[in-house]
Formats: sequence, structure tokens, C-alpha cells
Amino acid sequence: MAEITKSQLSGLTEPIWRIRLRLLRRSFIENWRLFREYPIGMIGLGIIAVFGLMAVAHPILMEYVWEPRVYDPVIGYDISILAHPSQPSSTHILGTDPLGRDVLSQLLYGTRFGFSLGISAALVSVIVSTSIGALSAYYGGIVDVFFMRLADVVIMLPFIAILIVLSALIEFNGLSLALVYGILVGFGGQTIVIKSQALSIKVKPYIEAARAAGGSDGHIIFTHLIPNLMPLSFLYMMFTVTGAVFAEAALSFFGLLNIRMSWGIMINTAQAAGYLLAGPEYLHLMLPAGLAITMLCSSFYMVGRALDEVVNPRLRQR
Amino acid sequence: MKDKNILSVQNLTMHYRTRKGDVSAVDDVSFDLARGQSLGLVGESGCGKTSIAFSLLRLLPENAQLLSGNVYLDGCDVLALDEKEVRKIRWRGISMVFQAAMNALDPVYRVGDQIIEALQTHFRGLSEAEARERVRELFPLVGLDPGLMDRYPHEFSGGMRQRAIIAMALSCEPRVIIADEPTTALDVIVQDRILGELRAIQQKMDMSMIYITHDIAVIAEVSDRIGVMYAGRMAELASAVDVFEKPLHPYTHALMNAFPSIEGEKQELKALPGEPPDLLSPPSGCRFHPRCSRTIEKCMGLQPPFEEMGAGHFVACWNPLEVGNG
Amino acid sequence: MGNYILRRLFQIILTLVIFQTLLFLILDAQPGDITLQYLTDPRVTPEIRDQMRIALGLNKPPIERYLQWLRNFTTGNLGISFSHYPRPVLDIILERAPRTIVLFLTSTLVSFFVGFVLGKQLAWRRGGSFEYSMTMVGVVLYTIFTPWFALILIYLLGLRLGWLPVGKFLDPILWRDAPVDANYVFARLGFTGFVLGVLVAFMWLSTAGLSPVRRRSLRIVGLLVIIGTPLGLWALSDVGYLAGDMLEHMILPVAVATLVSFAGTMLMMRNTMLETLREDFVMASRAKGLSEAEVRDKHAARNAFLPVFTNLIISIPFVLSGGIITETVFSWPGMGLTLLQAVQNEDIPLAMGAMTCVGVLALFAHLFADVTYAFLDPRIRYQ
Repeated sequence: MAEITKSQLSGLTEPIWRIRLRLLRRSFIENWRLFREYPIGMIGLGIIAVFGLMAVAHPILMEYVWEPRVYDPVIGYDISILAHPSQPSSTHILGTDPLGRDVLSQLLYGTRFGFSLGISAALVSVIVSTSIGALSAYYGGIVDVFFMRLADVVIMLPFIAILIVLSALIEFNGLSLALVYGILVGFGGQTIVIKSQALSIKVKPYIEAARAAGGSDGHIIFTHLIPNLMPLSFLYMMFTVTGAVFAEAALSFFGLLNIRMSWGIMINTAQAAGYLLAGPEYLHLMLPAGLAITMLCSSFYMVGRALDEVVNPRLRQR
Repeated sequence: MKDKNILSVQNLTMHYRTRKGDVSAVDDVSFDLARGQSLGLVGESGCGKTSIAFSLLRLLPENAQLLSGNVYLDGCDVLALDEKEVRKIRWRGISMVFQAAMNALDPVYRVGDQIIEALQTHFRGLSEAEARERVRELFPLVGLDPGLMDRYPHEFSGGMRQRAIIAMALSCEPRVIIADEPTTALDVIVQDRILGELRAIQQKMDMSMIYITHDIAVIAEVSDRIGVMYAGRMAELASAVDVFEKPLHPYTHALMNAFPSIEGEKQELKALPGEPPDLLSPPSGCRFHPRCSRTIEKCMGLQPPFEEMGAGHFVACWNPLEVGNG
Repeated sequence: MGNYILRRLFQIILTLVIFQTLLFLILDAQPGDITLQYLTDPRVTPEIRDQMRIALGLNKPPIERYLQWLRNFTTGNLGISFSHYPRPVLDIILERAPRTIVLFLTSTLVSFFVGFVLGKQLAWRRGGSFEYSMTMVGVVLYTIFTPWFALILIYLLGLRLGWLPVGKFLDPILWRDAPVDANYVFARLGFTGFVLGVLVAFMWLSTAGLSPVRRRSLRIVGLLVIIGTPLGLWALSDVGYLAGDMLEHMILPVAVATLVSFAGTMLMMRNTMLETLREDFVMASRAKGLSEAEVRDKHAARNAFLPVFTNLIISIPFVLSGGIITETVFSWPGMGLTLLQAVQNEDIPLAMGAMTCVGVLALFAHLFADVTYAFLDPRIRYQ
């Protein structure tokens, strides 16, 4: 006993959270190293970064560069131009829409909106699916049966149709759409995937050890089960972002959403005013928004694909 | 002597390219196999036995590189053939009983149909009915009820699957059959029975066989000659009797002692010290020298030649054991 | 098997009832009703609107209307559409559902086939520039904003190049003097497709017992005959040009629905195939002397097919969602467009009917796919 030195003791008394943090950091670095090997993931991250800059740029531009009266994405109007929509010019880089609003400003505002919508939907879905997946796998029995049958029903629903019907009841805004979409995804297929992963973790020796050491159910679920589900949950978050942004754009395009401005609304405005198929001179009305929707959806999906290769060891090259 | 050899492997050298560097998996291996003869290849896992088998069938993964050597099957150089000709050699010239028999059968096809597939690949004009008849004849040969041919692999037990794999390997009447640890996944009694049957069929059909295993106890039952491999090289090659009675290579000797003998007098088991070498950077000279009890200075610098020391008894060692020192 | 199907049918009915109850609650809870559309019409006085409510049964309490709806549903009566008054909902659905099913089936089959073949090749040639470029193209198409993509195609192929009609189900000018109506031609086209499928399947199975050499040549000849004959017959018949017009209108919607969904199968197939390629039986079949193409198609891809098919089952609702969007953009008179219009018009019976139809479609597609799966994977036998 006398051989135990002070440093060893301090190693033992190091707070558990710090050890966890260190382990977390190490696994993060390890995964990042793997992730970097997939060009598709890096391309996706790059696009996301560009969108991030765009989202940040909008409030700054509105504050210091752009005259709000002219450039506001919703109520702005440029009286110096006679006919709207107008072509791209030095004052309006992407032109103006049929209601005289600056398209670039709308695009940047839409970035912010799309981002927050996608991320909040992903957060909702991941919280729902991870907690339900973990609980179902850990306790099994009636809880499991109920949620799995529910998931079986939910995965059979065409979301767009459901959202169309729901839009009759709920005046969807960004937040409620994120909430509803997240819940739909969370209770559906995502729960099934996460639960099966949780089942495979549940039988691992360290869970047995934690139980043998007298850990309570809550302790095991929150400190062992859920942290180990995180990589998979994170992966599915990426796909949820894609789905949510897409759903918002589709519903906006149909004119079913009650929001101020988004990429979907931009296309909807152009369509409602009859400029969609009007010819190449009106391309600035539909090209930026459509491209932005596609790029944002693609970039998150690409990151998800690359994460899949990292998280799923069966796919690794060597 | 030469025309009696159905298979002749000469100076086969093969590397695997990996990110860390080249792995020298097979280095300068030579052996002959006569018609109707059975050769056992024995060695620790990772010593290159399976790599040799896959080289013979030209089934190596993409990162494998055959650096030198020749493989003659009935006088025809297998390594020089193009893809299309190699396919004719596979199964018809050399067939293989796989290590993981559990997974060597495709789960979505009936067992019989998988054998019929092999038959129809090599005998293109064979109709389904004729091929079925052939399978019906094969099944009893390996101790399976012909009625089982319309079952799926998952309905077979491990032993039955192994028998089915053997039936499949026999189906095209190959000149050489390679058995790669065919019984490791099975329990001892089934193992023993299948081994006996395999040996009987091989002798009856006058086929040549290469039997690959890490289990020296098994090999005595099935082999006429035994090749002992260490770290990608052939250490010793001799008749089964010679290998057991008077091993010349210290590694063979150590291998013999690592397995208990039921019949012989009570001996203390001597486990071999150390680990098999990392083939990314194999030891200089004789690859066995770091673990060898008889190392002399020469062993560290120079690779010992693979030479005939007695009649048909080849060994690669600078300081071999005395004959009769087994 | 029979038992399994029965149990699944029971499950489907149960799901459907719950589904409809929720639907009814949602649709009924929305503020206002269809009569509000006439609020600004000076000819429609409040008294007339009250009468309309009584005529449509909207004055009764919701629970009574719900029970009546359920009662009617069990007898196959889906009520009368408010916005297409007095057309029965069932009538509208029977006309439009087949159009959705045809669009859905064609695009699903084509996209599954394309995705399967491409995914197979991606895994087979892993690491090359082909894989990277195809993956990028696939991801972009899979996540592309469908209406936008459809509009671009309409603009390019329909308006600029004029190769294809830009929307709708058929060309009204061409059909004005036609001897038969659209449903007549459409039903016969569908029937032809069905018979073709059955014949091909029969031919395939009946040649399975022959030797490989004869099998291949017989199958090629058979395929040519089976597909060529009806094609010739249609071309010779006097409604051939009408069928041609209908098919021409289908190209663009089917192409869009296919292009935006094939990548799902492709990417999934690639991953699964990479796993099966490591299996021992792939090595074994190569050792048996099979050609690389046979190893790839008959063994690796055949095994990878199973999980990919499961994925297809799971993505049926996704494809339906995409179908709804596609239909709307192309003004394709199917269930998607019907649903959207019904919801916008607060036409409760039609929305309920359309949604029920979409739900039934999804549920039965699931059941069908599950049962097919049992035939594809010998390890699965439903109890």
C-alpha cells in the first residue's frame, strides 16, 4: 500500500466528469480523423460553413449596410425602381421580386430561417427518438411494445400528406413546423434504429459491470446508454435537417405556411405572380432559392453519409 | 518423378500492400504434390498457409502482389493464365473446402442448387435434371441424405454444411482439393468423422489434397507429407512419419512438444516462447531465430536455404537437430 | 403464411380506424367551414349559408358526423364531395387513384431498378472517380427540391426544346374528337401492363430448368416476343395515338419522380453490397469458377437485395410524399393534387377520402412488400 504515490491517488480522485470529458475529447478527435478521410463529408461541411456565413451576414448587413426600408426581406420596397420584378443590378445584386423586395436579402434571411428550422427539428427528433429508443431497449415489455407499434404506424405515413392535412388545423410557423416534423420523425423510423442500437449496447459487459456495481437504472441510462447512442443520434440529426428544410420548402411552395419569409416562400411568390416559367430573364426569382434549398439539404445529407461511414464500422475500407 | 507431380509450387513469393507497408506473407515457398497424395500444411495462424491456397486459385485480394514464383498444375503455369482460363482451373483443376464453412454457402439458394451451379459452370451443356442426378450421387458420398439437397443452408447443422461444402468441392472431380481448416468450427467428434471421410474419399477418387491446419494433431491423420510453415516460409517438408519421428527444424520440434501426446511417455509440455514475428518487418536471416533455442550467429544474418537433407526430407535451418533427436 | 396475412389485415384495419379518427378530429377542429368561402359573395346571404350547412350536415355535432362517416365507410360510401358537389367522393377517388398508382408504381419500379444497378456498380468499383461522381450526383438529386427540379425540367424539355408536353394528364385538343374517353384507354393500358408482367414472370420461371446455354437464348427471344406483340397491336389499333399521347404525358412526371428517388436505393445498395462482398460465399462462388459478373449479380447483389428491398418498404411513404409534390407541379390529376385541393377548400369528405386512400395505399404496399420479402429470403417464414 505504501507504494501508492500521491500522483496516482490524485489520478484516482480526479473528478469523474473530467475523465469523461477527456474520453469524449479523445473519441471526438479519433472520429474527426476518420471523418476527414471522406471528401463527401468535407464538401458538405464546407457548404454548411458557407451557409453559416450567409446566415450571420444578414443581420450585420441590415444593421450597417442596407437601408431597412429598401432591403427588408418582407416589407422592403425600392421606390427608385419603376417596375418590379427588376433585373440584377449594382444596388440589388440578385434583383428584386414581384413585390419589390431585394432577393439577396430574402435569400440571406431564408438561410437563417432554414438553419434554425432544420436544427430545431433535428433536436426535437433526436431528443424524442433517443430517449424513447433508450427506454424501450432498457426496460422492454409494454413500453417497448407500445412505442414500437406506434413507430410502425408512423413510418407508414407519408409526411407531406400528413403535414398538408395538419396545416388545415395548425397555422404553421417555423417553430411549430419544426416541432411537428421533429416529433413525426422522432416517433417513427429513427426510434426503431436507435432502439436496435441501444439493444446491442445494453448487452455489452460495461453495462453489466455498472449494474453489478450498484448503478441505478437512471444512472446507467444517462451515463452509459445514451452517451453511446450519441454518434448514431448525431448521424440521424443530419438526415432530419435535410428532411425538415425540404418539408418547409414544399409546404411553403404550396402556400400552406404562415411564415414571413423563407426560400420556399420566395419560390411561392414567384410562382403566384406567374414568373416561374416566364423565361430566362426571370431566372433570378427561382434559381437562388431553389439552389439554396437543394444545397443546404445536400450538404447535411453529405455530412450524414460521411458520418455513416465513420459510425458504421462495417463500411470502413480497411 | 516429375510427371508424377500434379501440382508443383516453385519459389512462390507474395506481399500484401497495406498503408503501413508491405507485409511479406509468403516468401520463397516451394513444394510438389504427387497424384493421389495428401500434403498437410501446418503452422500458426498468419503464417501464410491460407495465402498460399488463395494464390493457387488466383483468388488473392487486390492489395496482394505475386512477386515471383511459378505454380504448375499438370504442367500448366497457373499464374500466367488470363482471367478466363483461370476460371476453368478453379474448381475443375483445384477446388477448395473453405475455412468458414458456415458462411461459404450462399444463404438465399438451396444447397443442391449451389452445387448444380458449380456443375453447370464447368459443364455448360448439362441440363438441370442431369445435374440434380449428379448431386444425388454426391450427397451419400459425404454422408448426407440426397433428400436434403432442396433445403436451405440455414436448415443445416454445422456438420451438415461442412459435408455439403465437401460435396460441392468434389462435384467437378478436381485434380487437387484444398481443405483450409475445414473442421475447426465443429465439435471434436464430428471433426474426426468428417476428417476420416474426407481422407477416404480422397484416396478412393485418387485426388490430391492439400490440408491446411494449425492443429498438428489433426494433420497426422490425413497427410502423407507434411509441410511446416513459419512466418511465410516453409521451415520443413517431409513425409508425415519423418516430421513426427525425426524433425530436423527446431520449430517443428517445438510444435511437436506444444501438443500433448496420449500414447507416448509423459513429457513436460514446452510452450514456445515469444510471439510470431510482425511480417511488416520480418527478422533478418532465419525468421525463427528470435524464438529459437538453437540460434547460432549465422542464423541472424543469412537466410538458410531450403535443402534436402534426407530422402525427400527438406529443411531450412543452419543448425538442424540431429536425426533421432525427436 | 395465410394466418400471417390475416393477422396483418386485421392490424391494417385497426391502424386505419385510428388513423381516420385522428384525421377526422384534425379536419373537424379547424376553424370555419366550406361556407366561409362564400362570405364575400353578395349573392350568398347568411340564411343561404345556414341552409348550405344543413344540406351538408355541418349543423350536426361532430361525434354524430364522425359515427355516420364510419358507418358509411364500412359500406363503401365515402360521402359526397363539398367542392365537387354533388359528385360522390368514391367516384372521384376511383377515377384518380389509379392514375396515382400508375405513376407511383412506374417510378418506384424504375427508380428501384436504376438504383439497384447503379449501387451495385458503385460498390463493385469502390474508390474510383466513378463512385465519387455518382455519389455526388445521387445525393444532390436525392435532396434536390422536387418542385424546383420539376419546373426546371418542364422549362427546359417542355418549353425551350418542346420535346415533351408540359403537364396535365393528356392533351385536350387531341382528345376532343377521340372516339373513346380517357378512362377507357387508361384502363386498357393498365391491363396490358399487368398481362405483360404476368407473362414475363411465367416465361422466366418456366425456363429455369434448362441448361445455361439454352436458358439465356430462350429468355431473350421470349422477352422480345412478349413485349413486341402488344406494342405492335397497340400501334395498329385506332386508339394507338391516344395511348401514345397519354404515355407521352407520363414521361416527365415519371422521370422526375424517378430521378429524385433512385439515389436512395443506390446509396443503400452500395453500402449493403460492400458488406456482402466481404462474405465468404462471395469468395466461394468465385472459387467455383463463376465469372466476375455472375459472382456480382447472382451472389453478392442477390444477397444485398434483401436489405435494400426492406429499405424500399420503409421508404414507400417517402415516395408517396414525393409523388404528391410531383403530381401537384405537373397538375397530374391524382390523389396528391386531390388532397391538396380538398384541404385548401376545406372539403372534409374529399380530404378524408383522399387521405384514407393514400393511407390504404401505403398500408397495402407495406403488406405486399412484406409478403414478397418472405419469398425472397428463405430464412424468413412468417408464422
